Amino acid sequence: MTRIRSLLSLAVLEIILAGLCIFLAAAAPNFLSAENLLNVLRNVSMQGLIALGMTLVIIAGEIDLSVGSMVAFSGCLTAYVAGALGSPGSGPGAVLAVSAAILTALLAGFASGALTGALRNRFGVPSFISTLALLTALSGAAELITNGFPLTPFPSWYNFIGGGYLFGIPFPALLFILAFAGTHLLMNYTAFGRAVYAVGGNAEAARLSAINVATVRITVLALTSTLAAASGVMQSSEIMSGTATTAKGWELDVIAAVIIGGTSLAGGVGRVWGTMVGVVFLGVIMNGMTLLNVSEYWQHVVRGGLILLAVLINRMERKGI
Amino acid sequence: MEPRPHTLETDRLRKEYPGTTALRDVSMRCEGGKIRALLGKNGAGKTTLVRLLGGAVQPTAGTILVDGTPVSLRSPREALERGIATVHQELSLIPGLSVAENIFLGRLPRRRGLIDWSGAARMAGTLLAELGLPLDVRVRAGSLGLAGQQMVEIAKAMSHAPAVLMLDEPTSALAGRETDMLFTLLRRLASQGVVILYITHRLEEIHRIADEASVLRNGDLVGTIPIREATPGAIAGMMFGEAPVHTRVQAVPVSGPPVMIVNGFTRGEAYRDVSFTLHRGEILGVAGVLGAGRTELLRGLFGADRHDSGTVTIGGRRIVPSSPSQMKKLGVVLAPEDRKAEGLIQILSTRININLAGFWPPSHHWITTAARERAVAFRYVSELDMALPSVDGPVSALSGGTQQKVVIAKWLETAPRVLLLDEPTRGIDIRAKQQVFKIIRDLSGRGISSVVVSSELEELMEVCHRILVLKKGRIAGEVSPRDTSLASLLGICME
Repeated sequence: MTRIRSLLSLAVLEIILAGLCIFLAAAAPNFLSAENLLNVLRNVSMQGLIALGMTLVIIAGEIDLSVGSMVAFSGCLTAYVAGALGSPGSGPGAVLAVSAAILTALLAGFASGALTGALRNRFGVPSFISTLALLTALSGAAELITNGFPLTPFPSWYNFIGGGYLFGIPFPALLFILAFAGTHLLMNYTAFGRAVYAVGGNAEAARLSAINVATVRITVLALTSTLAAASGVMQSSEIMSGTATTAKGWELDVIAAVIIGGTSLAGGVGRVWGTMVGVVFLGVIMNGMTLLNVSEYWQHVVRGGLILLAVLINRMERKGI
Repeated sequence: MEPRPHTLETDRLRKEYPGTTALRDVSMRCEGGKIRALLGKNGAGKTTLVRLLGGAVQPTAGTILVDGTPVSLRSPREALERGIATVHQELSLIPGLSVAENIFLGRLPRRRGLIDWSGAARMAGTLLAELGLPLDVRVRAGSLGLAGQQMVEIAKAMSHAPAVLMLDEPTSALAGRETDMLFTLLRRLASQGVVILYITHRLEEIHRIADEASVLRNGDLVGTIPIREATPGAIAGMMFGEAPVHTRVQAVPVSGPPVMIVNGFTRGEAYRDVSFTLHRGEILGVAGVLGAGRTELLRGLFGADRHDSGTVTIGGRRIVPSSPSQMKKLGVVLAPEDRKAEGLIQILSTRININLAGFWPPSHHWITTAARERAVAFRYVSELDMALPSVDGPVSALSGGTQQKVVIAKWLETAPRVLLLDEPTRGIDIRAKQQVFKIIRDLSGRGISSVVVSSELEELMEVCHRILVLKKGRIAGEVSPRDTSLASLLGICME
């Protein structure tokens, strides 16, 4: 009995997710179809990619509110650079131009996160504040680049990154799964992962235990920002344009998924696997409600309620109620 | 007319906790007009007596009398009503509120249901004027220095017009000049007939402030003597008893090769021009009163805090300590004073904490597994004789002594040359203390040197090969425990 109980408390979110899937399988006949499940995976993959990095950031006791703006900025930057370097086409010139554009966007993402980390280390600026500033600044920069209109310089093959399939699996979903495996291994089987937990658990004790706190913070923030930029590239590929108004409010969806997954905003506690479950959980709910023809307005209300409920259940489980 | 002096008496006051008697039949009498210092080492019963008189705990037996009347103090509030006010070591002011609000917190004067701010300011102003304190009652308490805040605490206590004022380590955070201001104020209060009970660790200041001193040891009141008789030797005899100190240091390896040479280490007023040589396997004690700069010095040597000038030579290389990870690589590590907040990461497991120092930058492997970490943890669990149910449980569940061993284990895994230990036995039980000493001695036998800071002089006498005395940030002397008595060591510290 106690074993069942401990198993139950260990996997409470997984059990709720399974229950939700069983309910949807019964209520919406095409929910369980391979096509629909792959669709769910594709829909969550871009936010999910960022959520993986955000898990590390939150475990380290930091936060990144700029990821939504980074998605938009990175998409616009990719479009801008690709357009400036070459014309739509399929020749080697176009491939080179698009590759350079993507690299530029990823580097910009890396730099943004590294800047947040440096401000945190050097001047003690809380990442909440600096990334709040970046949220506004990056959003404005995206508008500046595009002049308010979507940029569409992409060759048609570019759509593969955000909309293509490899081995029958949506390419973004494949990247997401790869990134999951990577971050999961990083957090569970590397010395660096342990250091992330230590810094979030007590940064001063970590420093006095000879852990280089500054590089840990910079690494997780830069990683997350880079993942947001990658997500922005995929997004621009999916919609085949650089659009400044895209991905508004993503930061909150991403943080919600991480928190649902059991990661503590106080730092030092959390699992990448939990975030994976949280991301899929949110995706299944949205998908289920769409299949059941729930109005979009209701979808938001229900989603908000479920986020609250999931966090409450996590809390109670941790307190042993 | 001179106000009649108040009195405070205890009659066979006794406090028992399960398995131990914290205070044994203490009978004493304090009179207003005189300042009484209360002395004793950690665990002697000072805190228990303060808590009993302050109404925080109730006695097992015995009576407390204020002005000759027996009183029962069931809560701090009741103690205040019966005329016993306490100023605690930790300041309890609310920094965002004004001085006047802090003094009258919870009982601000009202007029027609609203707070009478001008009345409160006037009353606070009158009170401070009576106490001779030149403070503006309108400024925020947080904008005052520590001394100013301490004054406000005293004013707050005095606003209850108490018969007895107890001060628990009031100068521990104060600078020299601020201490003078405090003493002047206490002198004035004493002359008004208030009983002043002054608890302190700083033996050197009792001659400046107290008229008489009471000494507690192991829960007993050893005695009360006039301050002119309180020589270091007399005080040491009363505090530590006549029991001989066990000097169990075997060989004296100060002749071994030097592992660390500290040269001209200086940081502002905290410590100045500290130089010494630590030999291989040597256990070097650092004695000194609170505020002598001991903790600051260790943190400076570990690179945890910046220092102004001075170098450390380790393994023939002359370096300037700049970060803990740099010093770890050179083999110099620190077990900090506050092990709960600085030594360990409480929410993580014992296993992770033992492996902590090798994680980032990684000292052995980039890849780690729970199994590998567990193997390391088990090795130290048996080597250091740790009592714990599971290495995967949270380190916060462990006793103070076991936590200290985890801190030491964490550093041993980095193969250090020098262990800097700041109050390694604070808050741990007697058995664990002996085990920690044994660990330090065993390490010495293996060639690992230690620098031990402790407020417990007899511990330093027991475990160290050599003891440096730090006074106001400077090295004031060096003694060998073999040919020095505890009393003369205490004397050097207090002079």
